[in-house]
Amino acid sequence: MSSSSTPEPPASDATRVALQEVEEAEAILEQQPPQAERALGEAAARGGGGWVTAVLAAPGFLWIGFYLIAPLVVIILVSFWTRTDTGFSKVWTTANYGDLFHDSTYWHNMLTTFETSLIAVAACLVLGFPVAYFLALKVKSLRMQVALFIIALAPFWTSFLTRALAWTFPLMGTEGALNKSLQQLHVTSGPVSEFSYSLLSVRAAMVQLYILFMITPLFFSLSQVDRAALEAARDLGGNWWRTFREVILPQTMPGIVIGSIFIFVLTMGDYGTVATVGGGNITSVGTLIYSKTTAIEYPQGAASAILLVILLMIGVWVITRFSNLREEL
Amino acid sequence: MTAVAPTMERAQDAVVTRKVKQRRDWAKWGLATYFVIFLFFLYIPIILMAILSFQGPTGQLTWPFRGPVTLDWWKTLFDSNVINTVADDVRASGEQSLWLSLVAGGIVAVLGFSLSMAFRRRWRFKSDVVAFYVIMLALMTPAFLVGLGNQLLWKFMGQTPDLWKTALGANVIWGIPFSFLVMLAVWNRYDRHIEEAARDLGANAATTFREVTLPLVWTGVFGSFLFGFTLTWNDFDRTILLQNGYQAQPLPILIGTWPSSHPILPNLYALGAGTTAVSLFLIFMVLVAVTLRLRFRGAPVRRAAEEFGDTAGLTGAGGLTARAK
Repeated sequence: MSSSSTPEPPASDATRVALQEVEEAEAILEQQPPQAERALGEAAARGGGGWVTAVLAAPGFLWIGFYLIAPLVVIILVSFWTRTDTGFSKVWTTANYGDLFHDSTYWHNMLTTFETSLIAVAACLVLGFPVAYFLALKVKSLRMQVALFIIALAPFWTSFLTRALAWTFPLMGTEGALNKSLQQLHVTSGPVSEFSYSLLSVRAAMVQLYILFMITPLFFSLSQVDRAALEAARDLGGNWWRTFREVILPQTMPGIVIGSIFIFVLTMGDYGTVATVGGGNITSVGTLIYSKTTAIEYPQGAASAILLVILLMIGVWVITRFSNLREEL
Repeated sequence: MTAVAPTMERAQDAVVTRKVKQRRDWAKWGLATYFVIFLFFLYIPIILMAILSFQGPTGQLTWPFRGPVTLDWWKTLFDSNVINTVADDVRASGEQSLWLSLVAGGIVAVLGFSLSMAFRRRWRFKSDVVAFYVIMLALMTPAFLVGLGNQLLWKFMGQTPDLWKTALGANVIWGIPFSFLVMLAVWNRYDRHIEEAARDLGANAATTFREVTLPLVWTGVFGSFLFGFTLTWNDFDRTILLQNGYQAQPLPILIGTWPSSHPILPNLYALGAGTTAVSLFLIFMVLVAVTLRLRFRGAPVRRAAEEFGDTAGLTGAGGLTARAK
């Protein structure tokens, strides 16, 4: 950057003039933006007019502050308060956490939910990658790409609950389509009861419901893969696997990481899917916390939620170790 | 797209080109088949559900399909004079959902737009990133945590959660990051020299905004509105904890609590399929809006990620960090 760090060359007139010009140019570059541009509102915050930015940002952040940050703070507070019959009183205690640590049901649920999450992340990655790869690198026309992408993305905007419901009787039930067709094909002799209201169906449904959160970031990072590098890899004799591992995968890592974070957080915190597809037979941390709040055990519910959030943060931290997002994006 | 070598007469070039082509086609068709299977997997539950909603009067929840194809179960949703009617509940819930979603969509569009305008003005980098992650926090927080937190906050304030004061607020939280990302994508592709030109021609700030800026970005604002609308229209996890028994329930709550409040009959499927159809219709509206914007655009775009400005794809701080560099 700066010319001062390099040793001064022998001072011929030409070099001196050149260096002077460079210094002048740098001086100009370091200056504030010109007045005309400031008048246009560009980079206004650097000078005056920062209040306009503040006014524009204020409504959104006030809303987030009241409906997101404050509630999260209250969860933390309540988790340290004492339970009463009508809710909680502001008597500080750590008993809520102490009880939780000895609550084997809670940890059993946590473990099952964690396992479900890991399976969901892995399944979404393995099943979703070819879809994103196809859309991003094999479909040539942009219009086609956008159209197919939206068709794949459309169910995301429809009700999770309804789609979860569709998993219960019509598809996975004892009389559901899956059991019927398996019997038709003579794969099974009778209905497989494991399909309905089971951990298996909850996990399968989760993959189907959340996979788009993996495909979307994958699609966007795959479509930014440098095609020239792909051509170069092939020209240099790299086979498909080496090209994939050494060219595509490193460039797709941010997408994989973001997708995994999404799936992990969403499945760990899921309530609706487990309640609907599991039909009350299956519990998760989410359903456990929900049942605690309906039983007016708010402090216990809050403490369970805080522990979940801490585990979520650890999980997200571990996932981000695979890629330096800030650097690569 | 990809740089294909110009065809020259040299024999070795022809051989290389053909080899590459063959390998690529094979993989492409394999992946295309997989894509179709994937779409099938994605849509099959809801299709099965929709089919079962057209059963005859003896229809049940499970296969096989019973009776002639009728609209009987759909009628029970709208006509209060037929047997098994649920028309009153559905109408009350439908209206509640509709108004709630419309208002949420409006608020989401305004807040997301104004937030993105603030970011467009180039804040100092450091606060920029903090603010960005606060907005992303709204996307990352599990739904029922937002529900639980708001429930506790209102209890803390000594108030009963209310559909309009509490659930609406929590639903808007879910919509803000989507709207914000959509708007960032729009601004990424926006040529601000047009605004400068307008000012040079003597337009003041308000006129420039109204007659130049807004017409160019309205599709993004409309997209934000639809995001806010559909997310609220479908939300269950947040709303279930934030409603009270005195107000008509929004549709997702009605569907979710159906087994404990109504006999489970195929009209539940009709209701589910119906709300899904509304959502799908709205997405095609988004598609139309996007197509309109494509037409406005000048330079050709090579990759979809560019079209979405690489931020709408939930790829995180992409646009932001790129700009800060």
